[in-house]
Amino acid sequence: MIQKSVAENVIQAALETGGDFAELFIEDKRNSTISMIGGVVERALAGRDYGVGIRILKGEYSVYAFTSDDSEENLLQVARSAAQAIRSNPIDVTLNFQKKIIENKHHIRILPNSVSKKQKVEWLRRAHLSAMSFDPVIAQTTATFIDTLKDICIVNSEGLFVEDRRAYNRMGISVIAESGNDRESADFGPGSFGGLEYMEQLDIEGIAKEAARSAKTILFADHAPSGNFPVVIDNEFGGVIFHEACGHGLESHAVARKASIFADKLGEYVASPLVTAYDDGTIPNAWGSLNIDDEGMATQRNLLIENGILKGYLIDKLGSRKMNMDPTGSGRRESYKYAPTSRMNNTFIAAGQSTPEEIIANTELGIFAKYMDGGSVNPTTSDYNFSVSEGYMIRDGKIAEPIKGAAIIGKGIDTLKKIDMVGNNLGLGVGMCGASSGTVPVTVGQPMIRVSELTIGGRGGNS
Amino acid sequence: MNIQDFQIELFAAGEKAGFEEMELFYSSSKAVSIAVYHQEIDDYTIMEEGGVSFRGLFQGKMGYSYAERIAADSIPLLLEEALNNAEVIEVDDGEDLFEGSPEYAEPRPFSEEIEQLDPEKMIQAAMEIERIAYETDERVAFVQYSYASQGVNETLIANTKGLHCHSKSAYTSLGLYLTAQDGESTATGGESDFTIKSFADLDNRKIAEKAVQEAVSKLHASSIASGTYPIIFRYDTATELIGSLLGQLSAESVQQGYTKLKGKLNEQIVGENISFVDDPLMKDTITYAPFDSEGFATRKKDLIRNGKLISFMHNRKTAKKDGVESTGNAVKGGFRSTVGVGPYNLYLEPGTSSLDDMIVDSDKAILIVELQGTNAGINYTAGDFSLAAIGFLIENGKITRTLDQFTVAGNVFELLNDVSVIGNDLRFRSAISLPSLKVNGLQVSGNQTIE
Repeated sequence: MIQKSVAENVIQAALETGGDFAELFIEDKRNSTISMIGGVVERALAGRDYGVGIRILKGEYSVYAFTSDDSEENLLQVARSAAQAIRSNPIDVTLNFQKKIIENKHHIRILPNSVSKKQKVEWLRRAHLSAMSFDPVIAQTTATFIDTLKDICIVNSEGLFVEDRRAYNRMGISVIAESGNDRESADFGPGSFGGLEYMEQLDIEGIAKEAARSAKTILFADHAPSGNFPVVIDNEFGGVIFHEACGHGLESHAVARKASIFADKLGEYVASPLVTAYDDGTIPNAWGSLNIDDEGMATQRNLLIENGILKGYLIDKLGSRKMNMDPTGSGRRESYKYAPTSRMNNTFIAAGQSTPEEIIANTELGIFAKYMDGGSVNPTTSDYNFSVSEGYMIRDGKIAEPIKGAAIIGKGIDTLKKIDMVGNNLGLGVGMCGASSGTVPVTVGQPMIRVSELTIGGRGGNS
Repeated sequence: MNIQDFQIELFAAGEKAGFEEMELFYSSSKAVSIAVYHQEIDDYTIMEEGGVSFRGLFQGKMGYSYAERIAADSIPLLLEEALNNAEVIEVDDGEDLFEGSPEYAEPRPFSEEIEQLDPEKMIQAAMEIERIAYETDERVAFVQYSYASQGVNETLIANTKGLHCHSKSAYTSLGLYLTAQDGESTATGGESDFTIKSFADLDNRKIAEKAVQEAVSKLHASSIASGTYPIIFRYDTATELIGSLLGQLSAESVQQGYTKLKGKLNEQIVGENISFVDDPLMKDTITYAPFDSEGFATRKKDLIRNGKLISFMHNRKTAKKDGVESTGNAVKGGFRSTVGVGPYNLYLEPGTSSLDDMIVDSDKAILIVELQGTNAGINYTAGDFSLAAIGFLIENGKITRTLDQFTVAGNVFELLNDVSVIGNDLRFRSAISLPSLKVNGLQVSGNQTIE
């Protein structure tokens, strides 16, 4: 994607003012989106993003510049103007690029642009028809199909020269149920890191029906109560609780500055002994996987917590300099427009011993959170929150009436220590995570878990 | 290749390819952002981005495409993608291009001083606010980052029907985010300000002290007993919460079935003390815009007046569907996006009370100064919300305690029927602005048993 000689000249220019590391990130991305509203294709959009990001490091300081003009003349100019932010004595750097061929562990069989838009529209129509036929209360659907093919090339002053190809596809289905003046919606978004073979095996009708069922259930659900309850959180996307309560707090950009509650706690109990958790960027074709991270390092399976004890952080190159620890293949960025930083890939709590039935049966009065929307966290204070879109009361060890509109809040370590049951049904859920280096695909995951007490904020008052 | 030449070549090639009408939307931005940590440059980012989107009418259907490279080799790609996309469009809504409005208000002011701003001045300012923050209060444990940024944005909309709208603007901003600690208690807070006139307008001391005050005031917080409380939303949390639901006033949401407001024009939908106005032509606001993203002239208009729904926001497409005129509310997130509907400078008409008056006049209430989880805790279809919050307990007209680890829940439409006091502290900072508001009662959930 870039000639070696050009890369070499640009990196030399970037290091002219004394930087000790320079890196080029070249990206060529083809994107296509089709949206269908109420069974009619309303929008189809496609395009190409192309650009180069130039990063220069000097010790713990970072300079970043990007441009969508990749002529050598412009790249040299951008590299030199970025280098102006570093004023030191140039170091003698010998560049010796070895093109590294990486093994592609995440196969792409059917390229996004090899499938006709008509076929993609057909997938959307199947989702629409299936949702509409579920029940007369289903009033509207929006179905969206997005596919992306992204070629990247990373070159750095340590001699790295590596290319990678990444394909993503995702279908979003949003269903509205309506009764009288009440309206509720449910959103599902299955996706894959790989080719469109994923769509060929996807149970489109089943997912659309589940979205319709969820919208209908929420429509007739009571408002969630407010107060403190034991909370059972279902598997797959339920893992958003770990992503917020812990995952962000393990990212080196927060830990290095001690802006995380998890700083200086390696080897200490930060969770219940039932909790073991990983961030694993190597799972074949999982939504948050990568062959290499956006700094060119192979992703790996990182142990975060083992039987409640903190074992590791998520560390990018700059974080590794600041913390004096090895990077973990966790440097990520949305595009060439962002400097990379430490991020999650596929983060999950490992399977435990309990069956889901046991967990419910052992809960006298509590909340069952079946489907979650996203959440957020302040890593410094570890105050986190996430929203339950479809939930249920648990009464006398049984799942009882549905509830909606519950925010669940807590503090990181406090919550992790209150996990008192961990199920045996580990599953992963697809999400997008936004932070300083942009929005990147991640999976969250867990088996069903129970937290002995959490604050539920619903409109329904005391239950 | 400059954008004018690109336009000429693109339209010529498009005509050959069979497009009946064509439009080009060009946007570019250049920005520099500098972050300081411990009086050293920590991060220095130079941004240069831009691109074009193209839309063309092919056999009566509109196809869209975009490209980042303003170069001859982008032209075939733009045309081919637009053609492919036009072929799958099924909605026949007679979408056409616009020849332009008869007249436009004066162009956006452009500050050359900001365009030419010396990065050294930005570095000095970012260092100064960091320094002031540490000096202001010993409980400031560390400034996570302090930054200054400067940017220039340019937009051109031109089509084969004669439309030609161009605008250029510059802004600069300064801010910081810090951690305060006192014993075991930790809190964070930040502040930022911006200007479109002169860098000297930014008050370094005020910004730094406000950030410190914000963080320090949140120390030693505890939760509260669940129950129904009168709530005061400070202007920023009022804007965040209610602003996020004003998309319901978009005709696009109405037509797609995503709002409860369908069929409610000229009906009383919220309390009589509520009036929402969108005024894109207000001088000195960052959102000032003489034309919208379709090149349609903007104007000031009431959306809600004394609680009655007067108008939805429209672009040309939604207006045509409803048989009305566009309100000049076409918006486009950037050259990649398609044209949607949104506000330019939508605000709630302020009242006369200061925030202090609202506190003094309250027997018992909660003042909310931070909301968390607005990315997921608001149900846009129903208007329900349940959000984590940080705030203060007010008893007998005085702040008596700092609160965190609680949630506030309700429904935005019901809330707007239950506003008892509207503040006078309206600040125009983005496309939506609200003053502080007091609401009679909302459900609060916390983990204390007795209050």
